[in-house]
Amino acid sequence: MLDRMSGNIGNFVKNRNKRRMSSLKLAMTLGYTVVMVAVIIIISTLVFNKTDDILKTKVSNMNAALNVQMKLNMDSYLERLEATGTLVFAEEEVYSYSATDDTADSYEAINTEDNISDELYSLCIMENFVDFCIVYSNNHTVGKISNGTNELFGSRIYEDFSAMINRDRTNDGWSAGYNDNFKRIYYVKRINDNAVLVTSFYTSELENVFKHPGGIEDITVRLTDKDNNVIYSSIDEEIGSRLENDIAERIDGQISSTIIDNDYLISVNSCGDDWKVICSAPTEIILKEKNDVQFYIVIIAIALSFVAFLTNILLSRRISEPVKDTVETLALKASMDLLTGLYNKKTYEDIVSETIANSSDGDRYCMLILDLDNFKGINDNLGHAVGDKVLAEVGNILRKQYRSGAYIGRVGGDEFSVMLEIPKKLSDTSEFVKTKCAKLCDAFRNNYADSEKKYKVSVSIGAASFPSDAQSFQTLYANADKALYVSKNSGKDTFSIYSESVTGDE
Amino acid sequence: MMKRKLLVMLILMVFAATGCSADNAPVETVDEQIELTLSWWGNDARHEYTLEAVKQFEKLYPNIDVKCSYTEWSGYQTRSDVLMRSDTEADVMLINYAWIEKYSSDGSGYYDLYKVADSIGLENFDEYELSFGVKNEKLNAIPIAMNTQSFYVNKTIYDSYGLSVPKTWDDMFEAAKVMNGEVYPIAMTAKSAFFYVVAYAEQESGKRFMEQDSTVNFSVDDFRTMIDFYCRLINEKVMPQVEYFDRKEIGEGKYAGCLAWLSDGSAYFNKAIENGYEYVVADYPTMNGVSSGTGWYAKPATMYAVSKNTVHPQQAAMLLDFLLNSDEMAELQATEKGIPLSTAAREYLSETGKLEGMQYKAFEKMQENGELAVLSPYFENDDMIDEFRSCCNAVLFDKETAESQAQYLYDLYTKK
Repeated sequence: MLDRMSGNIGNFVKNRNKRRMSSLKLAMTLGYTVVMVAVIIIISTLVFNKTDDILKTKVSNMNAALNVQMKLNMDSYLERLEATGTLVFAEEEVYSYSATDDTADSYEAINTEDNISDELYSLCIMENFVDFCIVYSNNHTVGKISNGTNELFGSRIYEDFSAMINRDRTNDGWSAGYNDNFKRIYYVKRINDNAVLVTSFYTSELENVFKHPGGIEDITVRLTDKDNNVIYSSIDEEIGSRLENDIAERIDGQISSTIIDNDYLISVNSCGDDWKVICSAPTEIILKEKNDVQFYIVIIAIALSFVAFLTNILLSRRISEPVKDTVETLALKASMDLLTGLYNKKTYEDIVSETIANSSDGDRYCMLILDLDNFKGINDNLGHAVGDKVLAEVGNILRKQYRSGAYIGRVGGDEFSVMLEIPKKLSDTSEFVKTKCAKLCDAFRNNYADSEKKYKVSVSIGAASFPSDAQSFQTLYANADKALYVSKNSGKDTFSIYSESVTGDE
Repeated sequence: MMKRKLLVMLILMVFAATGCSADNAPVETVDEQIELTLSWWGNDARHEYTLEAVKQFEKLYPNIDVKCSYTEWSGYQTRSDVLMRSDTEADVMLINYAWIEKYSSDGSGYYDLYKVADSIGLENFDEYELSFGVKNEKLNAIPIAMNTQSFYVNKTIYDSYGLSVPKTWDDMFEAAKVMNGEVYPIAMTAKSAFFYVVAYAEQESGKRFMEQDSTVNFSVDDFRTMIDFYCRLINEKVMPQVEYFDRKEIGEGKYAGCLAWLSDGSAYFNKAIENGYEYVVADYPTMNGVSSGTGWYAKPATMYAVSKNTVHPQQAAMLLDFLLNSDEMAELQATEKGIPLSTAAREYLSETGKLEGMQYKAFEKMQENGELAVLSPYFENDDMIDEFRSCCNAVLFDKETAESQAQYLYDLYTKK
């Protein structure tokens, strides 16, 4: 409060303008930042959505291309093995021999089977065949047959291999999962009425067939049969099990397609004997990369927002500083009485009202209203220029009287008001007010408007106190004015203190 | 000026935060992917565990991709011949002991593993063991285990006929009489039959069939002894013709005994043991009071070699070391190829209680028999063994005489 009651009459205005400018700067900064952040969010959202679309399209295309490549690899691999098997038809002895003729010479049979065996071994020499043999209808075998196959088929070897032939056109067929054993994949081809060629390879060989480039490790490659049994999977544990329902339902009836939804990205192509090559990945994993991209977009957006915020602060400072001085000067001029250098009526009223409003218990003030005695005569006889000088001198006298602890304003043509803080230690406030009024009257008592000392410049004073006489500016001012009226009617050049008895009636 | 500096700094901060840079350097560097090839022969079990071992090796060394080529023994040698001749052999190969002499008589046919000794745990092998793979001071191959033909007897069947485990050749013929064609006292493949009749002929003649340098000591008469003995075994139903030997029938109790490699113990007889038959590894049949090991041979079961043409010798050596000495491979392979010579692998098997089963019993019997003669690298010539079988069949079916076939074989073996 004491600061605000300082004698520098511009301080209040400066402080008030400073507060207003700070508020304005803050509002500008926040507003600009909000707009920038909103713009960045909108742009980021658009980028998010675009990234999502592009990524889904790209990954779907890539998965579809991979799937086609896997299907072609598989077809090519199976065709190569079939072609090797077909070579048994190059030697008549191989495809026409029947080991079931009991009347045949045993020695001849042994030699013939030796020859056939040699031929079969020479045919399969460069491939990783597990079996490459001819099985005759009496379950006798010639050529390369593994113990695993022997044990698996036992005495049903001819019958069950014959049952695997399911293509009428070529009299052959592929089979996997015999007796739930998915370790080998068999190819069977009939070579005569009593014999079938049996070849097989380990399912693990398909790892080379389905080997795909790095970067798409998250994609699971599977080969399934027509009953959705998993013949091969890049996840070993799945081999031999049923294709999981979520995927099976999505590709049901599909021959060649790519599907992407919220849960899965799946490409499927049929190959061989109603087998399907399926490449799939959970969409969540596929979009993980998108989330990574989004993370970086968010980081960029935050960084940009931060930069926008800082830039805004810098710019607002650069703009506000030159404006601030001009605004302060204009505001000061608008709030002061230029003739006397005191607050004008509006500013004075604002300051005093605010002081009263912000006062706390124990704060006490007194308001003095001064009216120049016979000022009209000075104006009329000595001219308005002299009158203005008198008013300016009044301002000087008042400033000298109250270097600190007072607000002083010109509240009318020849009317001034002073708001004084009453020290808290004083118990008799009326004595303080009387003393101030008397001193003020004395200050004007030897003042003259002219050098001949014809026109004396004295003042009449009315005083009222806060909070004892009034609790608002208007009441305080009105009560002080009533006391002034009493002084005027008492012969002027005197002062009156407001009390309940002072009516102020003219 | 200060404000401008601040602005520049801020922009740089944003670029730094967003990872933007004026440098167009690659974002990621990838190690060179190396492809190795590995070839082996064997049965289903060996294929399966070797493929699994390769997977584990690839996990251990993600920048090495191992391409596998495998088949059964029949056909592997022919494939190897083709590949070796065409310089397209695998980087790492399972080879037969005899092939060192065949492909690398001066030591230059395979990569000298001493050059990559720092990548192979050679300390797991003693000098004697490594000497099987040394040719002209170059380490061409490392043996996996020692192997020998072993005599496995289905004691349950012998007992059921009131017979004790045969000790002499005559016991075999006596057993055949008692079994009366219901079961065979013994059965075997063509190669095992060759070892069987050579052992008989060596015991009878007191001569060694072949020296290490391929010199054949047998005379025409000794070859005649071999042919006659084979035909007698067939005619008196001691064993079925080798063409009709069917491993499935071991489990079904059709054979009361088998001659097979030590390393085949589990593969051949586990099914029969599961079916309740008791198997023992018996002494070799003898005559005239000779010791059990007379006429019988030991050799490195199989060996790993590296191609002389490999462009990745270091990585090939790493794979070879993994296959020979790693816990992972010891766990998967166990005693399938016999009892490993690698001390690291053997210690692992010992600690994990895996030194057991038919192979281990056969290994103990091999040690009981003392130091068996080392097999000549030229002994196991499949073509020659095939010729012997053909000659025997010709005699067996009265197409040729034993004299003419013995002469034929003698000429064949002694031809320079």
